[in-house]
Amino acid sequence: MVLGSAAKQAEQLRKDGNLYFKKDRFGAAIDAYTEAITLCPNVPVYWTNRALCHRKRNDWLKVEEDCRRAIQLDHSSVKAHYMLGLALLKKQELDEGVKELQKALDLGRGANPKGYMVDEIWQELAKAKYLLWEHASSKRSWELQSLKEACETALREKHFLDDSQPEGFLDEASISHMKQLEVLRQVFRKAGEADTPGEVPDYLCCKITLDIFRDPVITPSGVTYERAVILDHLEKVGKFDPITREPLDQSQLVPNLAIKEAVQEYLDKHGWAYKVD
Amino acid sequence: ALDLGRGANPKGYMVDEIWQELAKAKYLLWEHASSKRSWELQSLKEACETALREKHFLDDSQPEGFLDEASISHMKQLEVLRQVFRKAGEADTPGEVPDYLCCKITLDIFRDPVITPSGVTYERAVILDHLEKVGKFDPITREPLDQSQLVPNLAIKEAVQEYLDKHGWAYKVD
Repeated sequence: MVLGSAAKQAEQLRKDGNLYFKKDRFGAAIDAYTEAITLCPNVPVYWTNRALCHRKRNDWLKVEEDCRRAIQLDHSSVKAHYMLGLALLKKQELDEGVKELQKALDLGRGANPKGYMVDEIWQELAKAKYLLWEHASSKRSWELQSLKEACETALREKHFLDDSQPEGFLDEASISHMKQLEVLRQVFRKAGEADTPGEVPDYLCCKITLDIFRDPVITPSGVTYERAVILDHLEKVGKFDPITREPLDQSQLVPNLAIKEAVQEYLDKHGWAYKVD
Repeated sequence: ALDLGRGANPKGYMVDEIWQELAKAKYLLWEHASSKRSWELQSLKEACETALREKHFLDDSQPEGFLDEASISHMKQLEVLRQVFRKAGEADTPGEVPDYLCCKITLDIFRDPVITPSGVTYERAVILDHLEKVGKFDPITREPLDQSQLVPNLAIKEAVQEYLDKHGWAYKVD
């Protein structure tokens, strides 16, 4: 392929922009990318590079504009979906932002599961999901707490009115009343269980990282690991299953789709588990 | 008996018979414990509703039939109360077993799940049967598949056990 003169110039401008960017001279970088875009408006990378500069300057409206253009030119641009997601979150459009981040994550994993981008996108997605959960769950917790107190008060008052014994005398009715309050406490605890941070079930966690799975894969021994971690192990430690020690090659890893589904359902119900330490 | 039988011959009639008896027994254990819990929950729910109604009646200064803020708030309270008790008794309420815990062919909860190279999980006896009688390919993805490629999905097996421990009604075999 022979690059026309405009394309050649545009490429040079992109290189210039990259240099300016490295030196934190974002204004100059933006100018260079803008010129490149003027010459060749259909190259997605010019738009995402410029968007990255806008991001550095917290110019989120421009980030959104440039990312949308980039996506029109290339539906599978990881960076475009990622930065668009961030821009939408800044606008408080949480649901749309999360959707874009999820798309970026899926595309990124398809291309390079161990890449730095995948981890960064996951961090932002988890943060956004956690905030969504936190907001919804505090509302629910407050409602539950109010009702619990109202019930306790109502039951106590009723017992006081019904109770014919002098104070301090423990009779069958009092014992039954105290048991009632105890069961009430259990009921409200159970009702608020999903919103209460606890321990993620073992079978949803990688035995190496002890974190909930993001991209689980299973080995021929039947053990499931976090994809990025097992790939790292095979590359740096040795070509064997970490737990069973049986010989293992990258090509033998199978995506554990059922567990992946289980993890998603668990996170949908227990948003606190999105918290990344 | 079940674990030993499966080790020897996963498709054998004995394995199925042992499973049927085990499931029946587990179901009865659950039924007994859960009716006790349900009764306790129902009693408490009625006690709370009564106590809240009486309190509202005593606190309420409006003539009957007049819908004011306090009445609306009281009705909302009863509604939330109903939701709370429903949630508290959820595990004991027969419902739908999550998709990822069921075989896509039998639609039943897994007993002995195995995963194929395509990433799909099936009931072991059923996929073995398919490979023997229908053809050596993955029923859903149609990719070539041999018995030796089946891997026990230990994580899902653990997930199923935890689900059954918590939702004993799922032991009911139709």
